[in-house]
Amino acid sequence: MDPLHELSAYQDGLEKWLGSSPPSLVAAAVPNPSFAARVETTSALMKALFDEGWGRYGWPEALGGLGGTILHRAAMWDSLARHGVRGMSLFEHVEVLLPTLCAKAKREFVSAALPAFLSGREVWAQGFSEPEAGSDLASLRTRARAVAGGYVIRGRKIWTSWAAYATWCLVLARTGAPESRHRGLTAFIVDLREPGVAVNAIEQANGTDELAEVAFDDVFVPEHRVVGEPDGGWAVAMHILSSERGTFAWFRHCFLYQQLLAHLERSEPAGDGAVGEALLDLAAVTATSYHGLESHAADTPLGPRAAFTKLLLCEAERAVHDRILAGDADLAVGLQDDETAALRQEYLFSRIVTVYGGSQQMQLETIAKQLLRLP
Amino acid sequence: MMTSDAEEAFLESARAAFRHDPGIGALGALGVWDLLDEFADREARAATFAMFRAHGRELGRSAALACFMAHLYVAGDGFASGSVAVAMPRRSARRGDVLLLVGEPSMKHVLVDRPGLGAGFVSIDDVELQPVTVPGRLILHELTFAPEDLTVEIPEARAKTARQRSAFLGRIAAAFEILGAAEGALDLALEHASTREQFGQPIGKFQAVRHLLAWARTDCAAVLEASRQAAALDTAAPSRFDEVVKALAGRNGRRVCERALQVLGGIGFTAEQDHHHFHSRVLALDAVLGTSAELARGLGAWLREGRTDPGFPRALLHRGGRA
Repeated sequence: MDPLHELSAYQDGLEKWLGSSPPSLVAAAVPNPSFAARVETTSALMKALFDEGWGRYGWPEALGGLGGTILHRAAMWDSLARHGVRGMSLFEHVEVLLPTLCAKAKREFVSAALPAFLSGREVWAQGFSEPEAGSDLASLRTRARAVAGGYVIRGRKIWTSWAAYATWCLVLARTGAPESRHRGLTAFIVDLREPGVAVNAIEQANGTDELAEVAFDDVFVPEHRVVGEPDGGWAVAMHILSSERGTFAWFRHCFLYQQLLAHLERSEPAGDGAVGEALLDLAAVTATSYHGLESHAADTPLGPRAAFTKLLLCEAERAVHDRILAGDADLAVGLQDDETAALRQEYLFSRIVTVYGGSQQMQLETIAKQLLRLP
Repeated sequence: MMTSDAEEAFLESARAAFRHDPGIGALGALGVWDLLDEFADREARAATFAMFRAHGRELGRSAALACFMAHLYVAGDGFASGSVAVAMPRRSARRGDVLLLVGEPSMKHVLVDRPGLGAGFVSIDDVELQPVTVPGRLILHELTFAPEDLTVEIPEARAKTARQRSAFLGRIAAAFEILGAAEGALDLALEHASTREQFGQPIGKFQAVRHLLAWARTDCAAVLEASRQAAALDTAAPSRFDEVVKALAGRNGRRVCERALQVLGGIGFTAEQDHHHFHSRVLALDAVLGTSAELARGLGAWLREGRTDPGFPRALLHRGGRA
């Protein structure tokens, strides 16, 4: 057995490599408000992690990984955060989409796609929301029509993160009757380089352009790029959302601890109570998302309980950035050097985290209906 | 870790035991004293803490927490189980340092710890117990005794180790008991939301009400997972994790009671309704072993002054990697 399958050996080895200050790590630790620049530095870091092997643990050997469990990935991002990396950038989708692709997409496809994604060569987008289908995802209208050898997709997706940088998009489309709701959906892997795909980046209020609108004008998708069963797209979507709302919080919150600590040099004793409260919020995410990691490793997905983690992550993210703003009004009115501009972007983003990946109100409804069984 | 099924099963039997006997006798019936001898075992810890959750949920009258904390000083000294309880020090904003006895004074001796000097015992017959008359199914006494009645029997060197261990596990136990009490308040509100009708339908159909309850449930989930992780980590817990867990329980426990009260409406603010029993319990347990406000301030100062990385994620991974 690979000795690095033992988590502590993996952590020690990774620490040693990070301690040698590889150039890709140093570059990814510099605050940079340019989204394109962040994409570049994070991609270079992912490539280095892949080439050195660290980025391949936690993924099945049969699919191009080096084995181990999700705890390897959890340890990797915790280490990267502690060594100054400022975020996962577009590789957030590694943790949102790849677990589902490994579980439900065709093996031949994933064994090529996984190394390409992990090494930063090919990026993935997630095509769920539509102009008329946000919280009510089951009402989506993008259609997939069966043709010889596959399907043809027609429709429009919006709020598609990183589509402008992506090669592949996991698209949820309707294969059933218009009124079939969640029963008539299928998940497809669409090649965004195909003719008929048009990607338009959406400039956001914080100056980044990670979101996009994607139009599909009769785009062909071969049969082997159906994920899960035809008309079984809802199960695929729920599998993804279990990662996006449950385990993903672990990865994101590792960076929030470091953001809170970095801000403390501008914190006054009078703010100690509020800093302590933010630590409580972070600890709540650590505990619930670790439970999510264990459940994932045991192949017992969290299901609706992922909503707890999602809500708590948003609370922690807001609390940390409340502290940052309290100690540093430069992000609101000061001269915008790279660090201040990056802080401003992150602060503004922390005000919208209660919207993406299922709004706060939808998470509360999930809990009310599925866990509390309210009328 | 104890499977959550096994934990749930123990929780249910502990609840039944406290319904039968809300006093300290239930701990013997549940075999809790034997569990304390196997505390290195993760399942024994999980079961013990589930007992505290049940004590909160069933509004147990016993001094379980105080006896548990005393046990960590006197294990092996030949005291009968449950015969010694710690007097918990707290600082009154009006009267300075006072000692509080939480639960029925069924013990024979009270353990008083004097950091720097060591710990000693006073016979329950030699202390003056002044009842703290807060309403609610909750027994509290302030305690005074003549200084000559206390002789130091546990020297400082030994007391120091016991003090840290007792505070660490006491905070986790208190967090579980707070959780149980908060869950009791939430259950009342859930029942009310399903049965109370206004505008021709159960109020639990209104999102404003549903979301209050969903937040309360989320706050409970955070306390449960954090407390469980602390119990599982035990001696491998990172610095101050017990304080984090206790502060989280106190803060969230109060929030759960407040949201439950809002859902219950006026009836929840009557003496006849049980909500205040749970609420009083949460307030009392938040007030000992460090209030959530004090602990949060202390934690914030610790981070700020030392620029300390609390390392919580790493500590959990470290344990998970070995399991």
